[in-house]
Amino acid sequence: MAVAMSTVFFYLLGALALFFATIVVGSKRIFRGAVALMAVLAATAGFYFLLGAEFLAGIQLLVYVGGVVVLIVFVVMLTGSLGLMEDTPSFGRQVVAGLGALNFFLPVFGVLQFSALPEISHEAVALPGADVIGELLLNFGKSGYVMAFELISVLLLVALIGGLVIARKGGQRREEPT
Amino acid sequence: MQIWSPLYRPSIWSFRTSIGNREVGMDMWQVTTLAARIQESLLNQDFVRAGIFLGGGLAATVAAVSLLGLVLVYAERKVAAHFQCRLGPMRVGWHGVLQPIADGIKLFLKEDIIPTEADRLLFVLAPFFCILGMFLAILVLPVSPEIQIIDLDMGVIFLAAVSGFGVFGVLLGGWSSNNKWSMLGAMRAAAQIVSYEVSLTLALLVVVMFSGSLKMSEIIQSQAAGWWIWRAHGVGLVAFLVYVIASVAELNRAPFDLSEGESELTGGFHTEYSGLRFGLFFLAEFINMVLASAFAATFFLGGWMPFHLGDWQAFNAVMDRIPPLLWFVGKTSFMVFLFMWFRWTFPRLRVDQLMALEWKFLLPVSLVNLLVGAAVVLSGFYFFS
Repeated sequence: MAVAMSTVFFYLLGALALFFATIVVGSKRIFRGAVALMAVLAATAGFYFLLGAEFLAGIQLLVYVGGVVVLIVFVVMLTGSLGLMEDTPSFGRQVVAGLGALNFFLPVFGVLQFSALPEISHEAVALPGADVIGELLLNFGKSGYVMAFELISVLLLVALIGGLVIARKGGQRREEPT
Repeated sequence: MQIWSPLYRPSIWSFRTSIGNREVGMDMWQVTTLAARIQESLLNQDFVRAGIFLGGGLAATVAAVSLLGLVLVYAERKVAAHFQCRLGPMRVGWHGVLQPIADGIKLFLKEDIIPTEADRLLFVLAPFFCILGMFLAILVLPVSPEIQIIDLDMGVIFLAAVSGFGVFGVLLGGWSSNNKWSMLGAMRAAAQIVSYEVSLTLALLVVVMFSGSLKMSEIIQSQAAGWWIWRAHGVGLVAFLVYVIASVAELNRAPFDLSEGESELTGGFHTEYSGLRFGLFFLAEFINMVLASAFAATFFLGGWMPFHLGDWQAFNAVMDRIPPLLWFVGKTSFMVFLFMWFRWTFPRLRVDQLMALEWKFLLPVSLVNLLVGAAVVLSGFYFFS
């Protein structure tokens, strides 16, 4: 019963994710693409939840739906108007894009098809809660990730300061002529 | 392929009789959620009972939301009126109590207009995003030990995550209307919500640090000895004030209602909306106000936990007599009244003042507050410990 139900949920989420992913790629209206992208990312969060990784699911929603997609929508709103449509790409471009997509799809499909992946039951992998993740992130030594954590923090700080610098320059340039 | 459903994992929504290894003393509350009830019925192969719980929970939530909408419209009009030395609605029913029903009927009967140049699909979809965000937040709302839908381990993160849907609805509504006032209103609203979300989350983090949990029920249980607003030497109080200011801004209510400032933008992002769709936006806004109040009560005022004073046995015993549901409703109503009070007390801010308040005042204050909070937690230096 439990397995049947989760299988149903899996295929439901998968179908939703695929459907919206095609809209992201296929829609000519950029804004609709952004909305569909949000649905794809939310479906991904659903997968994580189904796999028992609630923390990851929550963070996925928080970062991607609440952050990235809102940012994309913001950018679209700043740049374009309602009538903004994407051009139909030329035939050559379509071919190149198709080849690129195949280049990704075929290896992944091949690996999944021809290699025996171990079946892991949820009893075998006890997914940690937020407290364990927090301790691991701030631990040093063999089982800790404090170095990576600090590096990412520095990277984000640099990005933040960079953003500020760019924003300030724009403001000064506008003031100079007057 | 073996994928398993979270519905069947006992660790998420298990019954809790104590709160683990934390020493809280006083009283222990047993938290039973709707999800736990459904899970239990399913384990007993009692599908009828599970169905009743599921359907009943759904119906009760929808009924509560619609009823709350009606009550709040009336309360807002009455409170506003009395702050301005008016009487407010008086004609329909006793002291105008039936006025919101008349308003509702009016909204139902209004023509539903979609601008010809609008993006029809997104225009129709936008209010539902706001409603979706609202219902998702209700999922983790702890009303009483008996009334909560799901007690997620990641309650606080979930709460922060789903607030993104509300922003999305506002942005979508403003953009798809193809109207410059709507667009400007939506931009303002979204910029404001995204900015103030930072301080809001930092304020919540302080409480998460104090209680050592992201789970709503555990956060409430950790306040059995005293509410977080005063247990931590002012840190809780500062966090509470930051939370209140940030959530007023996030609700787009006065004095932060720049996104719908009627003298500047006619109606902001919902200028082009009419009839039922406008009603949905409005309902989401009102219920979000209740939710912000309810979560303020949960995080800082002890949620459904009764008020206890140190070891005054008699006093505490009397307070325990009051049911948790009543405590929750009382605290939430107080917060709602506070939000309405703000609206008629403070003048509207300018856009630059709004951003300066967040980035130059609230954010540094909440960051420093978080540091001080960490010191308090590490030294274990609480009141009523």
